[in-house]
Amino acid sequence: MKILIATSTVPFIRGGAEILADNLRDALAAAGHEAELVSIPFKHYPPDRIPDHMLACRLLDLTETCGVRIDRVIGLKFPAYLVPHPNKVIWLLHQHRTAYELWDHPAAGDLIHCATGPVVREAIRQADRELIPEAKAIYTLSRNVSGRLCRYSGIDSEPLYNPPSNASLFYKGSPGDYFFFPSRINSVKRQWLVIRAIAVCRERVRVRFAGEPDNPAQQAECVNTVRELKLSDRVEWLGVVSEEQKRDLYANSLAVIFPPVDEDYGYITLEAMLSSKPVITCADSGGPLEFVVDRETGLVADPSPESLAQAMDALWTDRRCAAAMGDAGCARYQDLNISWANVVEKLLC
Amino acid sequence: MLKINWFSPLPPARSGIAHYAMQVLPVLAGRHEVILWTDQDQVAPEVHQIARVARYDPAAPPWRELNNGTVSIYHLGNHPDFHGGIWRVSAQQPGMVVLHDLCLQDFFFMLSVHYGKDRAGYLAAMERWYGEEGRQAGEAFCAGGISAESMALKFPLTREAVRGALGVVTHSSRALEELHETPACPVAALDFPYAAAEESRYRAWVAARSATPSPPYRLVVFGYLARNRRLGALLEALAAIGERTQFRLDICGELWDEGQVRTQIERLGLNSLVNLHGFLPADQVEQKLSTAHLAINLRYPSMGEASLSQLQFWDYGLPTLVTRTGWYTSLPEEAVAFVRPEHEVADIQAHLRAFLTDPGAFRAMGERGRRSLIQNDTGRYVDAMAQFASAALRESPRVAALALARRVGNDLTKWLHPDAGPYVLERASREIFTVSEGH
Amino acid sequence: MAQSRGLRILIATVRVPFVNGGAELHAEGLRRALADAGHQAEIVAMPFKWYPPERILDQMLACRLLDLSETVGVPVDRLIALKFPAYLIPHPRKVIWVLHQHRQAYDLWRNPLDDLSSYAHGADVRTAIHRADTELIPQARHVFANSQNVARRLKTYCGVDAAPLYHPPPDAGRFYTRPAEDFLYFPSRINPLKRQELVLEALPQTRLPVRVCFSGPADGSVFERKCTELASQSGFANRVQSLGAVSDEEKRDLYARSLGVLFPPVDEDYGYVTLEAMLAHKPVITCRDSGGPLEFVAHRETGLVAEPKPEALAAAMDELWEDRERAAQWGAAGRQRYDDLRISWSYVTERLLQ
Repeated sequence: MKILIATSTVPFIRGGAEILADNLRDALAAAGHEAELVSIPFKHYPPDRIPDHMLACRLLDLTETCGVRIDRVIGLKFPAYLVPHPNKVIWLLHQHRTAYELWDHPAAGDLIHCATGPVVREAIRQADRELIPEAKAIYTLSRNVSGRLCRYSGIDSEPLYNPPSNASLFYKGSPGDYFFFPSRINSVKRQWLVIRAIAVCRERVRVRFAGEPDNPAQQAECVNTVRELKLSDRVEWLGVVSEEQKRDLYANSLAVIFPPVDEDYGYITLEAMLSSKPVITCADSGGPLEFVVDRETGLVADPSPESLAQAMDALWTDRRCAAAMGDAGCARYQDLNISWANVVEKLLC
Repeated sequence: MLKINWFSPLPPARSGIAHYAMQVLPVLAGRHEVILWTDQDQVAPEVHQIARVARYDPAAPPWRELNNGTVSIYHLGNHPDFHGGIWRVSAQQPGMVVLHDLCLQDFFFMLSVHYGKDRAGYLAAMERWYGEEGRQAGEAFCAGGISAESMALKFPLTREAVRGALGVVTHSSRALEELHETPACPVAALDFPYAAAEESRYRAWVAARSATPSPPYRLVVFGYLARNRRLGALLEALAAIGERTQFRLDICGELWDEGQVRTQIERLGLNSLVNLHGFLPADQVEQKLSTAHLAINLRYPSMGEASLSQLQFWDYGLPTLVTRTGWYTSLPEEAVAFVRPEHEVADIQAHLRAFLTDPGAFRAMGERGRRSLIQNDTGRYVDAMAQFASAALRESPRVAALALARRVGNDLTKWLHPDAGPYVLERASREIFTVSEGH
Repeated sequence: MAQSRGLRILIATVRVPFVNGGAELHAEGLRRALADAGHQAEIVAMPFKWYPPERILDQMLACRLLDLSETVGVPVDRLIALKFPAYLIPHPRKVIWVLHQHRQAYDLWRNPLDDLSSYAHGADVRTAIHRADTELIPQARHVFANSQNVARRLKTYCGVDAAPLYHPPPDAGRFYTRPAEDFLYFPSRINPLKRQELVLEALPQTRLPVRVCFSGPADGSVFERKCTELASQSGFANRVQSLGAVSDEEKRDLYARSLGVLFPPVDEDYGYVTLEAMLAHKPVITCRDSGGPLEFVAHRETGLVAEPKPEALAAAMDELWEDRERAAQWGAAGRQRYDDLRISWSYVTERLLQ
């Protein structure tokens, strides 16, 4: 089959969604199909320009190329999944979240600060409600995303899990003296919460952060907080690390800490499980909760510095328990049948 | 239940709309969650008893707080001091607009040209709604070549005020159509809210009226008395009838040109019959109205807006002379006495003579007016307004669609050749529609 | 002028799904060159389907609706746009380097190959494309063209001034030269615009036993079959070698060993083949109406420019075949001319970011 993967991208930013799109393309190619990405640039501010981008996607024609039919379009992100095609399948990574559950989020909410915010929010919701059902099938990244889609748009969908990149290369090393938190640095991932938790920890826990900020100001803020709380010797900013380095860091960590707000999915959780490491997450973290079983494969804390600190202290002191939880996490991953073969089969049937 | 952001003048602002707000808000706040937004320096203490009062800066409205609400209700009138800030917010964030004045030419001129030094903005608005003719008239007006009155009549600029609104409320049915200023959004004409006085109080007024020896019969005129209140015609009519000494005329309110009125009274020899009282405090208003026999509420030209004072006269059971124009044409024949604009003096005189012949008939007219106030029940008004606001909210995708269409249209003019116009416009419209409203 | 270093640059181009050609290599070449010069560069490729004609208008509008001025609060310093309709995307600091306009609306209108004039609304769309190009291209800060040929068309049809800006063919550094063997080489996609047909008609009219080697994929089988028939009918099939698509290494090897390169297309925009020949130190035979190649081939200095007729082409082929030494001299001169023309990515970067 000839397949186009339609996604929205922000130039110069490469995150999980971009990696997923590439992995999907590779998986389709491996299964013998011709697959290409169509990456449509999307700037989500000022809000009243969002409808412009929605309209732009509706005006594209991906039905054929040089007289040859495009058999399927797989839409991944807003507003690219609005592209019309008679044989469209949506694998929803997420909707435009600040029009939904992040509307009044103190840090992430952006539409709410604008005069035209409510009107644009309605426009986005209406378009999703009316046009997502155009697809022949609707899958989502996770139960969390499916839940939101149902709650806000009244649309049913099936979660379809995918493996992290290079899943087979993760390994279990020897647990070391640090918690590992690999992720883009921004307020939604909540590095700031972990920093405040360290300050409250009983034990002299150490955390190594890997990843770069979306915007330099976001990291600067975290760095300032570390300085103010005098935690410079407990926190390490590794910046961007290679994939190999990242796997090593997973492998030799004590545990992985990943407490984002209402994460859509969270490869980090799966990478941790593949590395046989327990995961500390929060009760409002979303995606990770579909994989982390509290006190079996990790710990689910309340989203407060105190509760998070308690979890960190617990694993810091009971290394055996941490290791056991890590192994349980690895076993759980195997049980869940998370594979590209499965994804391809579902998206093309 | 709605979360309402309410924007209107509030006491102590000397605006009829502030008074209207104090009638409506207690009922509204009892049924919905209301925040009162103001840019006034002061707000009277009693307002704080009704609902939370929040301040805003028209130059930087607090969108985050406003966006917590379900809908904003903006009250617009002709006074730039009272409504300038409100309009600025409404222009940026669509909501429900309540038009208390239908002609806003003066409002926009003062706001843009006079205060804002934004002549270009004013002229752009004139051109937007009235084309080249409008722009030229605007320029002539700025240069001082046309009268404000004729500008107001010909170019009301009502549509400018409601440009992005989700819905518009007026208190006068068909008024916008008659002005040829129908907006793109839904319009609701609601009966102006008025909380009639309790029966016991009314009977006290009736008693007070009967106790006052008559003749002479007391004629009363109230309010801000601009030229369109037809004082000149009234004085001429009164002076010319033989039975004039059977009447006394109390003129209560600010005069647009006191000197001119006094001169006319002098000239017509009406000094002993006419009293100028100026603006009166509430208790004296009550005294005057409860002892008056006939109210004179003439207006010409009228831009169609409802008259709160008319409802007040009816509250007191006062028969009233009204001009057959605008909102007044919708008033029940049996509750008012009509004066034709083109036969003012003659009609006034005819009614005065008829009054003397049969004062009881006029008293009955006043009572019928009182009874008709049931339609103006504030509770009914609040419910109708809330219902309309909910309906208007459902229209909001259309607002985004129109804005998008405007932007698209704007860009297309830069590069699209007319030959390709029909296809692209149709295609773009169809997709804008699909994106906004679905298939 | 502020130092042009470390800029964030987007390259806007167009992509036809599942078709990989020169345009993709060009954009990638530019991206790498900008990265080498210390900038952050990314390619934004808009999907493009040009039929039916109305779709073109849709996609023009789609491009107009995009906002590439910033990402996450950080400005995009330049938008370098290469192709229609991507070069219509608005940007305050846009540089257009026109690879080509939508030729079916211009010089290919009513050409048998054009698929615009055969549609009901083709004429309206054509007018719309003209108008858009004329109005919007000049809004860019600078306008460059792939070649003088493209610049000339832009001026003729749209009244827009554009400076020609040459770029190297892909893998320019990998071409090399070897002693000439007994064949003329014609590498190119097999289609009527490239005019393999003309060479096949010329072959029977040569005095000397000139041999020609063709390589390249066919754009559609009709023309390819025509060429095969022509070759066999003329009785000169033994002097023709048709290799089909070859690898890049094979191509470079064929260039290196050839006596000279044949490249007589119709009104080519640019023509990597000419430059590749020059890089391989080989003379080029082209035609008076070939367009792009004429900007590089100097008659009787780096090659021969013939009338687009079989007998003229045959005479040119004979000339090269006869005097091997002179052919080699012309080839060397061609290599020198390549350098003199400053065809390099660093020069491109310098001009685009001035």
